[in-house]
Amino acid sequence: MTLLAVLVARSTRVDAFFRPGDAVHRRVSRKWLPALAAGVCIAAVSNVHLAHAAIVPPGVQLAAKQELVRNNASEVETLDPNLAETVPSNNVTRDLFEGLTATDADGTVVPGVAEKWEQKDATTWIFHLRKNAKWSNGEPVVANDFVYGCQRLVDPKIASPYASTFGVFLLNGADIVAGKKSPDTLGIRAIDPYTVEIKTPYPVSFIPELMSNTNLGPLNKAAVEKYGKDWTKPGKLVSNGAFMLKDWQVNSKLVLARNPQYWDAAHVQLSQVTYLPVESETTDIKLFQSGDNDWVYQLPSGMYPKYKQEFAADMKIAPMLGLRYYSFNNKDPLLKDVRVRQALSMVIDRDILAQRVTADGQIPAYGVIVKGVKGADVTAYDWSTWPMAKRVDEAKKLLAQAGVKPGTTLHFALNTSDYHKKMAIFAASEWKTKLGLDTQIDAMEFKVLLKKRHAGDYQIARNGWVADYNDATTFLQLVQCGSDQNDSGNCNPKADALIRQANESTDQVKRTQLQTQAAKLVMDDYPILPLLQYTTVRLVKSYVGGYSLKNPMDRYRSKDMYIVAH
Amino acid sequence: MWSYTLRRVLLTVPTLLIVVTVCYLLLHATPGGPFDGERKVSAEVLANLQAKYHLGEPLWKQYLLYLNSLLHGDLGASFRYADWSVNDLVLRALPVSLTIGGVSMLLAIVLGVVLGIFAALYRNSPADYLLMIIGNAGSAFPSFVIGPVLILVFAILLKWLPAGGWNGFHVRYMVLPVLLLTIINVATVGRVTRGSLIEVLNTNYIRTAYAKGLSRWTVVLRHALRPTMIPVVSVIGPLAIGSITAAVVTESVFSLPGIGKLIVNGAANRDYTLVLGLVVLVTVVAVLLNLLVDLAYAWLDPKIRY
Repeated sequence: MTLLAVLVARSTRVDAFFRPGDAVHRRVSRKWLPALAAGVCIAAVSNVHLAHAAIVPPGVQLAAKQELVRNNASEVETLDPNLAETVPSNNVTRDLFEGLTATDADGTVVPGVAEKWEQKDATTWIFHLRKNAKWSNGEPVVANDFVYGCQRLVDPKIASPYASTFGVFLLNGADIVAGKKSPDTLGIRAIDPYTVEIKTPYPVSFIPELMSNTNLGPLNKAAVEKYGKDWTKPGKLVSNGAFMLKDWQVNSKLVLARNPQYWDAAHVQLSQVTYLPVESETTDIKLFQSGDNDWVYQLPSGMYPKYKQEFAADMKIAPMLGLRYYSFNNKDPLLKDVRVRQALSMVIDRDILAQRVTADGQIPAYGVIVKGVKGADVTAYDWSTWPMAKRVDEAKKLLAQAGVKPGTTLHFALNTSDYHKKMAIFAASEWKTKLGLDTQIDAMEFKVLLKKRHAGDYQIARNGWVADYNDATTFLQLVQCGSDQNDSGNCNPKADALIRQANESTDQVKRTQLQTQAAKLVMDDYPILPLLQYTTVRLVKSYVGGYSLKNPMDRYRSKDMYIVAH
Repeated sequence: MWSYTLRRVLLTVPTLLIVVTVCYLLLHATPGGPFDGERKVSAEVLANLQAKYHLGEPLWKQYLLYLNSLLHGDLGASFRYADWSVNDLVLRALPVSLTIGGVSMLLAIVLGVVLGIFAALYRNSPADYLLMIIGNAGSAFPSFVIGPVLILVFAILLKWLPAGGWNGFHVRYMVLPVLLLTIINVATVGRVTRGSLIEVLNTNYIRTAYAKGLSRWTVVLRHALRPTMIPVVSVIGPLAIGSITAAVVTESVFSLPGIGKLIVNGAANRDYTLVLGLVVLVTVVAVLLNLLVDLAYAWLDPKIRY
């Protein structure tokens, strides 16, 4: 996924709907790259059953009123979990619905409707459902509800944006999305009412984590078919998660109430959760200050140092799995020479960028893999530890060898946003003062930038990506040959071969080595210019319990939250 | 006058057709489409999405399909708010914008006229200057400055009112947005009223009225006010239409679920049907407002007859 600009999306590039003005993108997409699967441990993996749900530490006094207001940064585009695409929508569908598995406040995979699961062979998984899981209308949640939900996701008639993103991991999924096979051939079936079997086209080691996405969760067929397009409206929506839909005023608020039928309802503390769709970051803060909001989605650009002082107790900052980078058009006459791309990358001082320019705790990045991602280690260029003067000398030599003279003009495209502009001006000044290159910065509306970037109609462009799932493959797709997310047009066949080899490996250690090696190899081509690893910077009232700083995917279920007496 | 009104109402149809057609072409000519995201969707998914929303058809065919559903009162499906039809969205947002816009327009007119009269009668006095300075400041500062200042004072410092949001039609949530829009418009109404009244007061029939021995307030209220209102009415039309544009900012500052928010989100997300639906709505409102203004002229000025 792409990243979002300022917002943090969850995995994925940040696309998402934008909000007008600047922060635009957040979407959450998570995409897993088709094709990559992970290694498999054939040994049956049995999970540990932790009691999850809101864990209230002993001694904490709960408030009488357990109601949370969290800003979601934008109106959801849908409450249909099959169609949900953006971070805001997924935040809500994760409260309303629950898949076979789920993730807790620390981002760890925990049992959902399935109480345990095992891997039968390289491409077959068996999930055992708990018998006490119920829909909000009291009906039991059964294996066929999952079969229906997954088949509907890949059905071309439904046209889910995530159909191929997730669908490719289930047997026949890609062919069904392309209209070549019927949805009932999908690799999921009910062995009995409480046992689900999932078949994958190749070994996919992260199936348990994948199934925590509600896009792949259960649906109550009768409820969906009864109301047609209106099935997600209050009074009609039947859900199986910790919460159910109480009220939905578009662009105003979305109110969820505790679902008494939920199997773990006894451990759900909040009686009500209100999601606000406030897009303006300053309005978000104002609502927080006036007490109308407990959860600021994201701080306005440049305000972190100020608010860190003002709201010390409420400030929550944590790294997330996301990369800010610039795309180089590798087919551009000037940039097709790898020496030029290398020189441009070498002279940008990421430390100053992180500490002085963005000043919000982000981590300098010198590779495509960010800290905390499973399945590959962070790589860095040798020069990243050199003194800047030496980096500049080397970069100048490279430019001279490539025949690029000082005074040459670079063209830089970004979507209008204060944050992106500040970073771009810094990059331009680095190129100007250290290499003598001029930069023309073209700000454009987000959709225009996307069009240009996807079409290769640019020289250097702002870009960003947030992991769709916690595995290195979500980042490697940014630089893989022919990937939909590879905007730079570079292709390193050797690195691609390593990634393929890693996919077939069942040894996790070897897989990590291979993917790390691939990441390093491909980055030696300088297809992109990595800058910073994203952080989630937000304000959450200090009386909101259950907010963890170890949640790199930024997926917080309200089930894990509680209000402390204050 | 009835035939005039009818003619004007009928003229709405060709006006609407032209506006819709131009907007339709402009929207489709804008780079980027509703399904372009930072994460690119695969070719298969894109094909499925386009089939679902009939975006794979030739443009002329899509246009005719759109006109056909428009004739049936159906504004289509929204891409951005996929669970809602454009009709649903507009029907829910319109009352919010109409209430905020209508109440503030009314307040701006009443306050503006009263202040304008006062300023005209005490022309060049300190009271006149003070009123005009305050009024002009209101229209000089942009709404995205005044709005946050109001929030700061009334919501955060004094904690009298919510900082934003909407709760049914609860008055507490309406006060600040109404106040903001009133502040923006009151100065214009006040200035025009003042200038117009000063001019009227210099006419012969007003002098005659004074000569008959009528009191000052009787002269102003009974004889001068009506003609004074003619230029005032002509600015009210544009001001009312302008408050739809202003709603884009106001609704963002106060996070209100109105038309302005839909316009911004619709355009940024290339939600063609939503934007066109709103264009239809705004066009109809603009045409009707202009008609009302023209009819008001006839009522205010006996010399004008249709």
